[in-house]
Amino acid sequence: MEAFPVPLKIIMEAVKHFINAIASPKILFNIVFLFYLIVFPPFKFFQRIHDALGIDRLWTKRGGIFIFSLMFLAFAFGLTDANFRLIVLKPDNVPIVALLFLVVFFLWFAMTQAKENDEAIAKGDKPKEYADSREKVLVFPDLVYIEFLCLIFVAVLLAVWAIGLPAPLEQPANPTVSPNPSKAPWYFLGLQEMLVYFDPWIAGVVLPTAILLGLMCIPYIDKNRKGLGYYTYQDRKMAINTFMFFWLVLWMFLIFIGTFLRGPNWSFFGPFEYWDHNKLEVLNNINLSQYVFMIWLKQGMPSNILLREAPGFLVLAVYFGLLPAIFAKTIFKDLYQRIGGIRYSIFVVFLLMALALPIKMYLRWLFNIKYIIAIPEFFFNI
Amino acid sequence: MADIKPPVSNTLDTNSTSNPPGDMDRRSFIKWSLVGWGAFVAVIGGYGSMVGRFLFPNVLFEPVQTFRAGTPYEYEIGVSERFKEKYGVWIVREKEKIFALLAVCTHLGCTPNYLPADHKFKCPCHGSGFYTNGINFEGPAPRSLERLKITLADDGEIVVDKTIRFHYEKGEWSNQDSFIPV
Amino acid sequence: MSADPNKPSLFDKFKNTQFYRSIFRTGVPVVSHRQRMMVMLNSVFLHLHPVRLPKHAVKVRYTWCMGGLSFFIFLVLTVTGILLMFYYRPTIEYAYGDVMDLSQQVPLGIMREIHRWGAHLMVITVWLHMFRVFMTGSYKPPREFNWVVGVVLLVLTMLMSFTGYLLPWDQLAIWAITVGSNMAGATPFLGMNGPGSSLLSIGDVNFVTSVSDARFAMLGGRFVGGGALLRFYVLHCIGLPFIIMIFMIVHFWRVRKDGGISGPT
Repeated sequence: MEAFPVPLKIIMEAVKHFINAIASPKILFNIVFLFYLIVFPPFKFFQRIHDALGIDRLWTKRGGIFIFSLMFLAFAFGLTDANFRLIVLKPDNVPIVALLFLVVFFLWFAMTQAKENDEAIAKGDKPKEYADSREKVLVFPDLVYIEFLCLIFVAVLLAVWAIGLPAPLEQPANPTVSPNPSKAPWYFLGLQEMLVYFDPWIAGVVLPTAILLGLMCIPYIDKNRKGLGYYTYQDRKMAINTFMFFWLVLWMFLIFIGTFLRGPNWSFFGPFEYWDHNKLEVLNNINLSQYVFMIWLKQGMPSNILLREAPGFLVLAVYFGLLPAIFAKTIFKDLYQRIGGIRYSIFVVFLLMALALPIKMYLRWLFNIKYIIAIPEFFFNI
Repeated sequence: MADIKPPVSNTLDTNSTSNPPGDMDRRSFIKWSLVGWGAFVAVIGGYGSMVGRFLFPNVLFEPVQTFRAGTPYEYEIGVSERFKEKYGVWIVREKEKIFALLAVCTHLGCTPNYLPADHKFKCPCHGSGFYTNGINFEGPAPRSLERLKITLADDGEIVVDKTIRFHYEKGEWSNQDSFIPV
Repeated sequence: MSADPNKPSLFDKFKNTQFYRSIFRTGVPVVSHRQRMMVMLNSVFLHLHPVRLPKHAVKVRYTWCMGGLSFFIFLVLTVTGILLMFYYRPTIEYAYGDVMDLSQQVPLGIMREIHRWGAHLMVITVWLHMFRVFMTGSYKPPREFNWVVGVVLLVLTMLMSFTGYLLPWDQLAIWAITVGSNMAGATPFLGMNGPGSSLLSIGDVNFVTSVSDARFAMLGGRFVGGGALLRFYVLHCIGLPFIIMIFMIVHFWRVRKDGGISGPT
């Protein structure tokens, strides 16, 4: 920091404070969500904003240069800060930094090719893979050499990485002292982030199973026969927009939060904030049933468990029972007719399960809701 | 079985009553397929349960789960951390009883810390907080800490058994074994 | 090498020996169209590939090389993993010390580093492979089932990485596994802290207890201890690689059988 003149220092500090402030999940999640809605607009309203801003200019060479200079600048700026360096350069976090850059790069790479193809298709031409696919080449040497070079490249990369960065080894295992914070392996941090909002059996068992089943169901739900074997966005807009929500918002972003923004006691810390072990967040949360009976109806909790949790069951019934039907008549009308009842139901149930996560986040942030249904007697909390 | 119509088939000999040589009639087909499927299910089930049971050994080579914790008179009102390091257990003395709390967070099993200034247990993993009596009041923990079986031996020493646990939610904290009256 | 271009070199002579021809049947140099095809057909390893491909399929901008790299990194991890097993003993007494010694056992002791960073890299390449397959719509018929197999491989990759996480037996390891395995304890009906587990009982006898639930099956003990270390070690070194190999075979086979790499029609 001494290298910078004083006025610059003040500006830099101000920027850091600003970034720390907006890194709070309540703000950052909104920003990221809005960002997603505009870049991959699932609704007409956001499509208009998308068009007005000319977002698809990002998917060109100049757009790429813009994205990456922005990312590298932000990263370089961050590296001037000691707290940021501490998190980002931690050996186990290096792959995640790499992942972030790689995901953005390949997103741009795929979308750029998709844009080129879409423009060709709009003009009545075939996608550029088409001309190539008519021509046959011999695998030896054409492909074998490319593979060979790739392998050499990765082998060298691994060796350099291994020499430059020693694998971490912490204190010997001690079952009576938990490190603070205790984090799962980074690829599970998305799950661990869910654990803040859901009971372990939902976040740790039901949702991961749903993620996997949902992934496996993709080919059977997506009945669109266009867009096979070439990069395209316009030919399969709905599929890509939906996928990006899961891939970027619910997976990458949660991993990002879990790695870089979660500190001691699993509290939130801005990227330039010191990890203060004494930072305390008030976490007094209330169950939905307590809201209904104690605050709205101003009476004691019913002793019958089912009666007590009736409001929660009602909410769930409406959410999974009524919403799909309403969606089928309104926003997903086309989809419902296109893919039929069974595929539609499967799709909507998975979508609603995924949406439950952001919904629960907002409920927690706005109303301190802990559980919709809370039956700790049977370990049944939702 | 007797009044079942002959199977409709597209082959030419629909009307012929005899089976082609080597083929079996309906009755023996059912018999053999029952035997076949029965044997299959038995073998799969047998091996499956054998493999499943193999995961659960009869003898566990784990540290002893019971320990002696001195006499009740050694404890003053409040939380004792004497056995936390070694056994992961807090001995808590209230005015009229002594009980043992297992130092395992009910959220995901981290070890909470006792903060004497705030009179509470605080879990470092996800920030769950518990009162000194073990009841959860903040953070994601869904349940209270678990109390352990605690008894007095013949010689007047406290014996804590970590294998038997009492859950507040199930109303087990009134169980005779879950505390020692003083 | 002799200066006279017409005079056959020693290597040329060697190439005509019975010994050499018995190994490399195609002959060197590979120049003719036919020879290039024979290289693919004569090699059991290269035979994974077809002889000819549409041109777009060999372009990195289409394939990103991610599937191939995942497989390559898997091989790297197999080799380094086998080497690491020479020095590592999966018991509570030795595990941590053995891992600490790894960097000192041999000069340039980066075997563990390659293994660990390779594991991270494999998770990344597998994810990006999935991303590429999605973006090119390659899961569409006739390749639906291969996508499903791919999802299984993705899970297995992450499970491999998860089981490997415990082996250094340091604080990071046991607490990550503690948190992870407690999720298994919350499985509905099968975990002792899961919903419905208390329903599986007759009178006072609970069937799902700390020694008979899903978590115990995973850890081989009531907490993350010696049993868990051994189970995870065996799963990491033998169990999961065995399963992942079977699924990889199916995956590669199906790539070929479903019409090779996807392309526009």
